[in-house]
Amino acid sequence: MTLLHPDARVIDAATGATLCRAEVDAAAEFFAAQPPGAVFALTATELPAIARYVAAVETGRPVALLDPDMDRAALGALLDRFAPALVTGVADAPPAGYRAERDVWIREAPAAPVHPDLALLLTTSGSTGNPKLVRLSRSAVLANAESIAQSLSLDADEVAPTTLPLFYSYGMSVLNTHLLRGATLVLERTGILQRDFWTAVREHRCTSLAAVPYQYEMLRRLRFDPAKYPSLRTLTQAGGRLRAELVSEFAAKMAAVGGRMIVMYGQTEAGPRMAALPADRLADKLGSAGRAIPGGSFTIEDDEVVYRGPNVMMGYAESADDLAKGDELGGVLHTEDLGRLDDEGFLFITGRRKRMGKVFGERVNLDDVERHLTGHGAVAAVADGDRIRVFVEGADAAQAQVVRKELASWLHTHFSGLDVRGIEALPLLPNGKIDYRTLEASS
Amino acid sequence: MADLQRLRDAFRTSLDLPADTPVDELQYQDNAQWDSLAHMSLIAAIEDEFSIMIDTDDVINMSSFQEAVRILGKYGVAFNE
Repeated sequence: MTLLHPDARVIDAATGATLCRAEVDAAAEFFAAQPPGAVFALTATELPAIARYVAAVETGRPVALLDPDMDRAALGALLDRFAPALVTGVADAPPAGYRAERDVWIREAPAAPVHPDLALLLTTSGSTGNPKLVRLSRSAVLANAESIAQSLSLDADEVAPTTLPLFYSYGMSVLNTHLLRGATLVLERTGILQRDFWTAVREHRCTSLAAVPYQYEMLRRLRFDPAKYPSLRTLTQAGGRLRAELVSEFAAKMAAVGGRMIVMYGQTEAGPRMAALPADRLADKLGSAGRAIPGGSFTIEDDEVVYRGPNVMMGYAESADDLAKGDELGGVLHTEDLGRLDDEGFLFITGRRKRMGKVFGERVNLDDVERHLTGHGAVAAVADGDRIRVFVEGADAAQAQVVRKELASWLHTHFSGLDVRGIEALPLLPNGKIDYRTLEASS
Repeated sequence: MADLQRLRDAFRTSLDLPADTPVDELQYQDNAQWDSLAHMSLIAAIEDEFSIMIDTDDVINMSSFQEAVRILGKYGVAFNE
């Protein structure tokens, strides 16, 4: 099974250019001529990046998909930690230890050895600290693409515009499933709040949109009306829990035009999809994350959701040595999500074992946030849907604003995803620990 | 007539730009700060500042500062310098 079906089309909405086999072959030829090791690919939503990604997967060279806008200090730190053979999509001068050849940096010393099964490396939380990389095998990536394509009944007539970055696991899975089924992907870079995006949806007769919770909030703000785009048949949702009210609202909008809304659940560690909620069960299972995708299964162990399937990662990589490791998980993923299964196997997520929050779909460790802000005195961070809320003891409005800006810049996100407020004194539990429940409840 | 400064400030606040940044020539696709998240924040800030509700088509057409000035004209907000 190969990733790129011969009939698959990738078209750039801005230029009309399409991905051609020759471009993939040229990238594969280039990779074949280079010394062994991983390729760290700065992956813009552009044809050359996709050609390189497909070529890497096809030639068995592990590829890490990275944010093309990541700052050079963070990239430098990754190169020091993982010693990849190649860095692609870089137009500037290479750091010490690498030489440049067009838009590729080539490592001068031997690269870190890589395990033969390793195909894909993805970051879990983008910007904070030293991100761990998720190690996915080639068979896991292909198995997950196949299961998703089956559970969504994708065929060659599907046309999806890019609504998410390709280095983000959900964006990557939209790419993979469409390449696998010989369908069409329309590369659009402006996003759902711009006229050009909706022009592309209409012109290319797009059939589906993939979106994360904050994008559904935007679509609602836009009073999105699927009737204006008759080719549109499917909305998919992943990347965190969408509030039930919006699930129902969008499901009803799609049903009214004979389309469907599909809620999904996953983690980058599962390459990334684990469950899907079929449109026809959405109403009676509202709030559910769905049923395991074909080939996968769930159990609940000590309240924790445990997933078993062929798409589970090999393990994490925190250093160059880890790239040579084989499978450490044996197809069993402890998700650290808390949940329950009903008698029909539908999964309901009830919480999270670790203190994690999300800001616009990106996972953020709340303890890291508190550690980062220790210079501001006593602080406490809690999750608030797709945002995080931070309490700073004794801060006035101006000081809270300073903390908000500083945190936004550290997380590389827009400050509207952060709610920072002063509080006279943090509430404490009898044991002296911060009373997070009370803070979560204060809106 | 409304003060153009109020619109400039709404742009600077939402896009997290320093107070004296020139914004009159800003274009959505040329500015890394002006992404979809900042756009939502900008629309909300403009609605609050001028007490209006912006229609869907205008939200997705507002792709530059000058376009914002033109669109606000439709809502009865005219600017002087």
